[in-house]
Amino acid sequence: MSAARERTRSGPRWYRHSLVLTLAIIVVLFAAGETLSPGFAAPGQVIYLLVTASLLGFVAAGQNLVILGGREGIDLSVGGMISLGALIAGNVMDASNAAILPALLATLAGTFALGAVNGLGVTFLRIPPLVMTLGMYGVIQGLLIVITRGVPSGRAAPMLSAFVNEPLVLGIPGILFAWAAFAAFVIWMLRSTAFGLRIYAIGANENAAALSGVAIRRTRVLLFALSGMCAGLTGFLVLGFSGNVFIGVGDQYMLPSIIAVVIGGTSLAGGIGGHHGTVAGAIVLVLLQSILTTLNIDPSGRAMIFGGTLLLLMFFYGRQQRLRV
Amino acid sequence: MTVLEAADVHKRFGGVVALAGANLELAAGEVHVLIGANGCGKSTLCKIITGSVFADRGTIRLDGRAMRFRTPSEAARAGVGVFYQELSLIPQLTVAENLFLRRPPRSRAGLVDRRRLRREASRALERFAGAIGDIGPDHLVADLSADQRQVVEILKVLVDEPRVILFDEPTAALDNRQVEVFFDLVDALRREGRSIIFISHRMDEVFRIGDRVTVFRNGESVATMHIADTDKDEVVEKMLGTRIEAVERRRDAPKAADVAMRAEAIGGTHFDDVSFDLRRGEILGLGGLHGQGQSSLLRALFGADNAFSGSVAVGGEVYRPRGPRDAIRAGVAYVSGDRGRDGVFPVRPVFENFVAALLTRRRRARLDRRALSAEVGAVGDRLKLRAASLDALISELSGGNQQKVVIGRWLVNEPRILLLDDPTKGIDLNTKSDLYRILDELCMEGVSVVFYSSEERELLANADRIAVFNGGRVVDLLEGERVSELNLYRAAFAAEGH
Repeated sequence: MSAARERTRSGPRWYRHSLVLTLAIIVVLFAAGETLSPGFAAPGQVIYLLVTASLLGFVAAGQNLVILGGREGIDLSVGGMISLGALIAGNVMDASNAAILPALLATLAGTFALGAVNGLGVTFLRIPPLVMTLGMYGVIQGLLIVITRGVPSGRAAPMLSAFVNEPLVLGIPGILFAWAAFAAFVIWMLRSTAFGLRIYAIGANENAAALSGVAIRRTRVLLFALSGMCAGLTGFLVLGFSGNVFIGVGDQYMLPSIIAVVIGGTSLAGGIGGHHGTVAGAIVLVLLQSILTTLNIDPSGRAMIFGGTLLLLMFFYGRQQRLRV
Repeated sequence: MTVLEAADVHKRFGGVVALAGANLELAAGEVHVLIGANGCGKSTLCKIITGSVFADRGTIRLDGRAMRFRTPSEAARAGVGVFYQELSLIPQLTVAENLFLRRPPRSRAGLVDRRRLRREASRALERFAGAIGDIGPDHLVADLSADQRQVVEILKVLVDEPRVILFDEPTAALDNRQVEVFFDLVDALRREGRSIIFISHRMDEVFRIGDRVTVFRNGESVATMHIADTDKDEVVEKMLGTRIEAVERRRDAPKAADVAMRAEAIGGTHFDDVSFDLRRGEILGLGGLHGQGQSSLLRALFGADNAFSGSVAVGGEVYRPRGPRDAIRAGVAYVSGDRGRDGVFPVRPVFENFVAALLTRRRRARLDRRALSAEVGAVGDRLKLRAASLDALISELSGGNQQKVVIGRWLVNEPRILLLDDPTKGIDLNTKSDLYRILDELCMEGVSVVFYSSEERELLANADRIAVFNGGRVVDLLEGERVSELNLYRAAFAAEGH
């Protein structure tokens, strides 16, 4: 019997199932939003929601990588990284179109380096990721206050703001094209490169990965560095989104970045999951928040409904995974 | 008198038939061995009896009454206990706490009654005082020796006073001496009138400990025999459905005289002063008792764990791997028998499990799924791999097929030197014979193999030469006419190696 000849499907079975489930949830949420508040699913509104989702999508991509890498991988410093990224970007470009590229490079380099520090702490000093990245978050937060003395500084260049907020082609802003390209790249990287396979390998069984010649430490350091960089990129775009920045601008993304990954079908134990799930997860989260906002409930009630719905979603995912085994 | 009876039990897992009509009658006070190739359903039957898996069809009767346990604790309360090897003790807790973990004695307030806990634990320990020495209820399990843990493990099953005890491959991880200790315990249980179901892969054990044996094949119980009325050949015949030859050397010594790997006085953790020439196209066996440094040597040669002292040359060039990556790129491969720890990526597809090391060997960044699938598929066919597809999760395969994938991972790498670290541990006979066939083919192609096995017969049948380990040193190198069971045992059981 030949395993090769029977291989026709594009990926493991469960993977596609959870994607279908997530897509179904997105459609249901749009329908629910439209029913509760007509105009919810109007084109302009949909694009605004997707732009919001894309900001979450970039940071969640990095979070996903760290979680896939296993060994309780998680990055709680992304909130700080986003704020720092926005601050670096804003100050380097300072409203000048000409300085957009240098600002982008500086942002990515800075957050990549800090992310690598996370990774070094986790691999070489054996600090648990939860503790290491939370500590990093604290350090960055303090750093931001020292640098800015609490006064926000730096402004977005007009072209960056336009890229994020204004239509480019077919009424769709450039950031959505960028997000689509970025997502396609990450999906390709995870599925079709040796690096992608190594991420799954160390997440699934670190011992076996080491015996297969995977450089465990180097790979894991890189994952944390990439997560920092993705968060930095988000900070760069958040600057374009809101024009200027305040110190805690990134904090609101930290928890959603993890939830989007988990809704997307990635196991917190590592080794299972893909990137399309995370993209869908980011959209689901933003939709959910937006529906709750249109409902006109006070913030505490909103928080409770949001949390309850997430638990419900997790419950369904948990059930589905159990059926698969 | 029949204590436990399983009648016409059927069970499917998805599309896989695990049991297709299994029958078993357990008499009072007997040791009843279940034997059969992997995936033949004997473990599934045990899980059904103890309530961790439900049967699709069939009945289990305990003392003539039909039972259907929903959990292992329910089975334990009804007097059916299961023994897990080294899995269920918690090292940070004391012996007493471990013994009564599931059901600690309570005080009237509902708290753990520590005084009664200690008293009952002491009483339980007295039963095997001979085997366990002066261990008391307050010793931490972490401080116990492996033998003592075994005893505690058995006592833990006994605190519920079960009349039926199931042992699922209890000796898989034990060395020969520990096995003897274990069998003494089983004998003691039999004398107390308890009925024992014993799953084994080792033929010797069947005849050492069993009263009766039931042979499984493809989910069916094909025969139940009294041990006194049968012999190894008959049991194997029933298992396979065909008769196989006894131990026989299957290979001629290789003609090629050139050396693939030369080790000179190398040492490391658990081994010392080891020298050998590994010739091109030969299988060099590593013999001796379990844990005499054979595994450590192989892991060190592969660059895993610690480095070695002394010098090694591969193909005439200095070989000093700083990690598995260097070894892989030098054409060295390593297959571990501990596939759970060192082999499989459990939640990943078969394909990824296959190519993990290939990517290291070839240094390619891009993963060409189509081309790789063709290569991997060919190796899979060669190994007679049975998998629904390359995209199936490896955990969906049987143990033997999982190990085939792990072996295949290294075959696609086209190694020059293959290090085998007890690669057939716990896998079925068919998979084993597939592996032996492939080893022969590889040797013909000029691959050199260093083969450690905990089964002497496997070494005797396959190795060209056998280096016998004792206390971390090579105490004898068996060659030509000297390769025999007698010489192997002589060297292995010699008083001390140095």
